[in-house]
Formats: sequence, C-alpha cells, structure tokens
Amino acid sequence: MSREYRRAMRYPQDEEPMYLPSVAANTLPIDRAVTEVAERLAPDVQYIRYEIGWDWSGDPAIFFRVVLSDEASQKRLRKVATQVVWHLARLLDFPSMGLFPYHNFRSVSEQAVLREEAWA
Amino acid sequence: MAFPDDLLKDAHHLAARGEKDLRQSSLRRAVSTAYYALFHLLIADFVLNWKRPDQRVRLGRMFDHSKMKQAKFQSANPTPVEEDLKTVIDAFAQLQEDRYTADYDVGTNWSPKGVENTLAIADEAFKAWRIVRKEKIAQDHLLTMFGARRM
Repeated sequence: MSREYRRAMRYPQDEEPMYLPSVAANTLPIDRAVTEVAERLAPDVQYIRYEIGWDWSGDPAIFFRVVLSDEASQKRLRKVATQVVWHLARLLDFPSMGLFPYHNFRSVSEQAVLREEAWA
Repeated sequence: MAFPDDLLKDAHHLAARGEKDLRQSSLRRAVSTAYYALFHLLIADFVLNWKRPDQRVRLGRMFDHSKMKQAKFQSANPTPVEEDLKTVIDAFAQLQEDRYTADYDVGTNWSPKGVENTLAIADEAFKAWRIVRKEKIAQDHLLTMFGARRM
C-alpha cells in the first residue's frame, strides 16, 4: 500500500551528509499504520502514500499524501483530513520516531488530471 | 481589518481564483499567503508586549522561520487551552512546509482540494489563537518561537 521511502534529499541545504532516524530502515510499523487508517476510513480515504525525507529546514520528516474519494473531498474534506491526521498520530509516535509529520490531500479526480507519480 | 486577516482573506481570494481558472500560480500564492497570514498574526501579538511602538517592526523582523517551527509543546493530558495552542503549533509547521513547497518546488502541483485543506488549517489556527492569545502559556510559546529557551 505504501511507497518505499526515498533516501534522496528532498531539499538539499548544503554539502554535509544528512542522516535519517533509524525508523527509516524499518518502515513496517508505518506501513501497518497507514494500511489500518486507510481501511478504517474507507471509502472516504482511497489510499495513503508516504515518503521519509527532510523538510525545508533539514529536519527529518514524513510526508503523507492522502487521496480522498470525490464525495469525501467535496462534502467533508476537513473532517476526513482531521481524522486521518488524528489516527496516524494515534498509531505512530512521531516525536519518538524523530520525524515531523506533514499531510497533504487531494481527490481521486484531481489525481486523475494531475497524474503525479508521487501520488499514484 | 488587521494585516494578518487581510492576508488570510487574500489567500481565500487567490484559492477561489486558482480553482476557477485552474491556475497553479494562484493556488501557490494562496498557500504561501496563508502561511504568512499566520506568521504575521503571531508576530503581531508578540511585539505588542514591547513597550516602544516605534521598535516593534524591527523586533518582528528578528523572528526566524526555522526557530518558530522548532518551538514545540507537549502535554500528556492537554487542557482545552493547550489543545488550542497545539492546533496553532501543528498548523504553523504544516503551513510553513506547504509554503516552502508552493514557493520553491515547481515539480509539485497543487490541487484545489489540497489548497482548500491548507486554508482550512489556517482558518482553524486563527480561531484557536484568538481564543488562547492572552493566556500565559500562549505568550510563553511566542517567546519560545522567538528563540528563548523554555524555563
């Protein structure tokens, strides 16, 4: 269900090597959590992708990309988005993992038009 | 209307235009403007504590975006005030990252629904901040965002 994390620097800041927390080497707990949340909130949540990398300031981060059904995104976008964020935080202790969580959303129809691989 | 409110209103205007015309430029500017709306809302409240009005602009310009994001707050059993403060803190981090992506990552496209969610986060942060802004814990957090260590 989830995408393999990338070790590429999302936003290169300088020439110094940047290291990810050890959780990046074993993403099974994250995979399980993502699957559980997607299943719990289906059909509003169609699927969830994620990537581990660095945010703009160089902090280790996990970027969730959540694709919602068209109906959910039209009628209850904020409610479903809040539930996704809440359930992921309930299942994954981000501070202990050393990761800043970020969440972004789009609808199935929007992804069909934009066709971005990172969201596929 | 205060400057931060004007910015937030502008963000919504840009988002509506971006959705109608499917313009990436408008959608990106909406996201970026929403972040700066919250940024200026928080700074405006911080500098109000400075006695000399003529020095407040200079003081506000000393804020560092990265330090502001690093200012974290954790509580095992948060009170309603702490919950509202956490809403602001989480929103600030998300909006800051979104703003960076919107301004610099031309390889990422923004969708109207993605922008709508980002602006809703900003709206919620404004509402939550206005509830807690005079609380000691909120004022302490502004000091932490400015760069001071927690006592």
